Amino acid sequence: MPSIPTSRGRSGVPEMGEDILRIDGLSTRFFTAEGQVNAVSDLDLTVESGEVFGIVGESGSGKSVTAESIMDLIESPGEITDGSVEYRNSEFADAISENHPGAVDDDFVDLRQIPKDARRSLRGSEFTMIFQDPESSFNPSLTVGEQLAEAVEVQRRATANPRSTKARTRSVEYSFGSLIASTVLDSQKFIKPASKARAVELLEQVGIPDPAKRADEYPHEYSGGMLQRAMIAQALAGEPDILIADEPTTALDVTIQAQILNLLKDLQEEIGMTILLITHNLGVIARMCDRVGVMYAGEIVERGTLEDVFDSPTHPYTQGLLGSVPDLENVGGTLQPIEGSVPSLLDHEMESRCYFADRCPKAMEECLEKPPEFAGPGSPDHRALCYLADHEYDPEQALPPGYFEDEEVAPDE
Amino acid sequence: MSDSGGHRTSDAPLVEVRGLQKYFYEQDSLVDALLRTDPVAVKAVDGVSFDISAGETLGLVGESGCGKSTCGETLLRLQEPTGGTVHFDGENVFEMQNSDLKSFRRNAQFIFQDPFSSLDPRIPIGRSVREPLETHDWPWTEPDVETEATVRTDGVPRDRVAVSVAADIDKVVTPENGVATATVTVRQLASAADSGEEERGRDTSDTIEATVEEDLTIGVQTDGDRIDVDVSVGRSNKQLRKERAAMLLERVGLSADQRDRYPHEFSGGQRQRVGIARALALNPDFLVLDEPTSALDVSVQAQILNLLSELQAEFDLTYLLISHDLSVIRHISDRVAVMYLGEIVEIAPSEKLFRNPAHPYTQALLESVPRVSTAEQDRNIETLSGDVPSPRNPPSGCRFRTRCPKVIPPPALDIEQPAYRTVMDIRERIENRSLDLDGIREQLANEGKSTGTDELVRELEERLIDTDLDRREAENVETAFRAIANDEWDRAAELLRAEYESICETVSPELQDANDHQAACHLLDDRSVAEHRDRDGTVDSRE
Amino acid sequence: MISNRTISNLKQGLSSSLLAKLGVVLLVLLVLMAAFAPLLATHDPTRTGSFSDTGNPYPPPGFDYQTTIAQDGEFEQVTVSPSSDHLLGTNNVGQDVFSRFVYGARVSLVVGLLGTALAMLIGVPYGLVAGYYGGRVDDILMRIADVMLAFPALVLALALIGVFQQSTINVPDPIVMAGLAEGMPETIPIPGTVTIVAALVIWVWFARVTRGEALSIRNQEYVKAARGFGVSDSKILLRHVLPNSITPIIVLATIQVAVIILLEASLAYLGFSGTTLSWGYEIERGQDLLRTRPWIAIFPGLGIVLAVISVNLIGDWLRDALDPNVEGTERGA
Repeated sequence: MPSIPTSRGRSGVPEMGEDILRIDGLSTRFFTAEGQVNAVSDLDLTVESGEVFGIVGESGSGKSVTAESIMDLIESPGEITDGSVEYRNSEFADAISENHPGAVDDDFVDLRQIPKDARRSLRGSEFTMIFQDPESSFNPSLTVGEQLAEAVEVQRRATANPRSTKARTRSVEYSFGSLIASTVLDSQKFIKPASKARAVELLEQVGIPDPAKRADEYPHEYSGGMLQRAMIAQALAGEPDILIADEPTTALDVTIQAQILNLLKDLQEEIGMTILLITHNLGVIARMCDRVGVMYAGEIVERGTLEDVFDSPTHPYTQGLLGSVPDLENVGGTLQPIEGSVPSLLDHEMESRCYFADRCPKAMEECLEKPPEFAGPGSPDHRALCYLADHEYDPEQALPPGYFEDEEVAPDE
Repeated sequence: MSDSGGHRTSDAPLVEVRGLQKYFYEQDSLVDALLRTDPVAVKAVDGVSFDISAGETLGLVGESGCGKSTCGETLLRLQEPTGGTVHFDGENVFEMQNSDLKSFRRNAQFIFQDPFSSLDPRIPIGRSVREPLETHDWPWTEPDVETEATVRTDGVPRDRVAVSVAADIDKVVTPENGVATATVTVRQLASAADSGEEERGRDTSDTIEATVEEDLTIGVQTDGDRIDVDVSVGRSNKQLRKERAAMLLERVGLSADQRDRYPHEFSGGQRQRVGIARALALNPDFLVLDEPTSALDVSVQAQILNLLSELQAEFDLTYLLISHDLSVIRHISDRVAVMYLGEIVEIAPSEKLFRNPAHPYTQALLESVPRVSTAEQDRNIETLSGDVPSPRNPPSGCRFRTRCPKVIPPPALDIEQPAYRTVMDIRERIENRSLDLDGIREQLANEGKSTGTDELVRELEERLIDTDLDRREAENVETAFRAIANDEWDRAAELLRAEYESICETVSPELQDANDHQAACHLLDDRSVAEHRDRDGTVDSRE
Repeated sequence: MISNRTISNLKQGLSSSLLAKLGVVLLVLLVLMAAFAPLLATHDPTRTGSFSDTGNPYPPPGFDYQTTIAQDGEFEQVTVSPSSDHLLGTNNVGQDVFSRFVYGARVSLVVGLLGTALAMLIGVPYGLVAGYYGGRVDDILMRIADVMLAFPALVLALALIGVFQQSTINVPDPIVMAGLAEGMPETIPIPGTVTIVAALVIWVWFARVTRGEALSIRNQEYVKAARGFGVSDSKILLRHVLPNSITPIIVLATIQVAVIILLEASLAYLGFSGTTLSWGYEIERGQDLLRTRPWIAIFPGLGIVLAVISVNLIGDWLRDALDPNVEGTERGA
């Protein structure tokens, strides 16, 4: 069975357990007609090489925007206003330090400080993303094989010229003239047969039966589960170091979801890829992740290992989330929903207090001032953005019920 | 047919479904008729039977394409059925006409999945909630019902008081034994009354005060010695409807002042609440809830589920809950039915099903759900292979057999389950002719190998056989491959069929009749489900 | 359907949009102009003349031309191009362009607006039924519509006129009858046949658009919900399907007004309109003379442009105001 070259085999990638991605103070804002929306505010995040890091949050928490910020997919009216996104790869750092020494710190390169082209050249090869809806990720008028081969081809060029960020996408072959030529002359085709063969290999790797025949089929001929596999194959074509998966199984049936999650886990173990898994499904998090970050209102309110967050949740939002999910394991009793609704992310409507205070059953006087991150019980990775991580809840200090009632709550979509 | 809020007296189940069928026909247009193309039937629901008792919640669970939503819609006759019967409170739903049907629609309601499209975007939510009331011309007044008043006096001689009661107060007051009664109190006040606040149920004239307990309008006039009191509803039907809508909105946790807002001004969870309020407007007995929380965030889901539980208790409701989310189903259902490709494969009380699933599909389904626990990563899941077959052409016999990890080999055969599954998969491919021999030949050619029969067979073996096969199996499979290399598909199929045909493909399993836990699986044929239950969930399948 | 909220939305849409106001004002001015045409016109628009020096009804070539036109046997010295006598000049048969402009509004507006309205009256219900019921009903109805669509508009119109026979309804002009205007025509010719024919040609477009909308709305859950409550089909169509299909119908209507005005123009040019006192006719007539006597075609053309613009602006206003999802300014509770 053909295999995918492991990250370990490629030079530049840090060892297992070492940091591969360091995000510091990331803020992404959207400047809309209604005002400035603070989608992500001052976010810190560290991901270790070879791990599966889960970001769990509901709609409006900013989890998808975080992923898009890392991938540099934020378009107007959105903008990354602050912060650094440091990616660690010794080879890439060497290549960059020639022209932009200021952006390099040891083996880390701050992606926000290098030119856009250089940053975007990482997409597909070092960073790759898969999305919730596989159907809209594929061009319906090209066969799946062609699209996969395209991804392979880009990667081929990149590895041929590792230092040139241009080689991957700027070439004669991409011009209009060559498009015309390629329809007439087979030899001029952008996609070489070798890439096509690799595409079929990839389809097989992700468990699609009859990959050769499937490669010539169009996306609409695939079922949902198969298309998601194809999307994973496409993501793998670039032999990425970091895979960002945004709700990869939300749209799938539960039995198919199990297949896809197993596949991701197997692939990850096999090639040592780092995965950033974003989802609202706590069960998926439990199944896949080594470490977890819980997002609310654009911030990570609690982070730590899986055990930290699931067994000793410190932030009341995390506790609320865990208590409000019906689970097959613990049955019976009423669910404890979190009262109220998600806060407005409009800048002029956000207060300087803890963003969760208006829904928190344990809100205290001091919560009117935004808490810093404190260390929580358990592993040294466990931290929570809550005073309760620092000291016990003091009922004397509790804010009276109805304290926040005059505040505007956003009727979101 | 019982009226709104009426109580059932019989012990028969509230809803009885027998052999329900709903087929959608494709290739059925005028042009196809002219070309004499046969319509293709998509068998969304193909023979479903179950009962629902008053007050219980039946959960209907299955994955996409199993037909559960269609089942729910057809049950309420939102789609016309292709076959089968549904009895609601003893009456055949599919034979109802006009007024009976309208009556049925009052008593059986549907709550939709998508809070974003279940409300008309151009109609303010208050109006949407009122729509069912308007359609059925609520509130009703029965001409047969008599109206009267019980009068109490305090400091006033009874014979001075003349009370007249409007004939339609049964719109507001529930009649008992055919009589709607207003409770009136007439009091002598110490001093000339100040009118105080305008209250509907209270009126004064000079020093006489008259009050009515119920939600009615009272007026009092003194004329010399006589005191005339009249009791009426005092509001138009439209106002009554508005009041009811306001009450419903409050009951589901929204504010009545928001009644003039449009749906897009609300969040998903709030819209779903509006949908619930609307469904409850006419005080139905039975609600079909189609994925009521699937489109909502996790924390909002909890709010809605709690609300649904409360409402069920308060209004004595019966629920059919349709969902693909097993955790939700388990949380709120009394009994559960599992659907696969248009049929019910297992039905049992909730706890029994989740603790001791009998049908292999149910087992697979339960296994697949990731648990919210730190031990989850160590749990080994056997995933189902392949995809759900097309409902246009469901597999013969047991529809799950193409993916079943416990498919039954012929009794005489001694074979391991994984090997048998492999052989069955190969049989499936051969029978459907879904092996791309030309493609394989092409690929062999590209690799510089020969494309003769031997190579072809070897290639097929490599691709399709992923477990160890005994010699007998390996030989049979090889013979079959050689046959298809010679384009003798039918012969190959027949060869393998003769050896490996399973009861699962020839005989369609029926729901076993044993007690309250039924499963449609041949594994349970010769033994009762009760026996199976004792075995803690694993069934001996000759592995 | 027309609730209080709708009315207030319409008012608000109007007050907040300059363009909407412009559209309304423009249309009102045009309608007033058409209604009070006898008072505004300087000459009898129907009186023709012949040119003295040539004896022809048609003027000799030349841009700035002075001649004597014989009107009813009386000779008049006029400048054919715009002058103080004839504000917008005269056309090639000696009629006053300005007066014909003012009068021409009547025919074009009536045919355009009435014709569109009639087309909607036929096409929208047709499309609703086809789209909502689907299946065979849809097949049959839309095939009939497709057949109608296959004919070029003009050809179909001519055929229908042949079938219906030309008929113009002559309504007495109240202003003239009241003696307020002298020397003006006594009747208003309303080209009934043309209006009906225009509607019969154009309705198919409304049917198609409406059917498309109905088809997609039918599957919306709120329609299913209404059926679940036992709301009758006709109520559902009227209350749920139609209001939600309104937007593209309005847009189409604004386009069709222009189409119908131009259709009438072609028919008038071919002599099938029953009246020649329309903008369209003047445009056709003045086409060949654009280089030498542009005023003949330009002003009626301007008239049509203004009418179409006003209808479009009003259409925008209606569309935006009726769509609750278009966020304008904050709508109060």
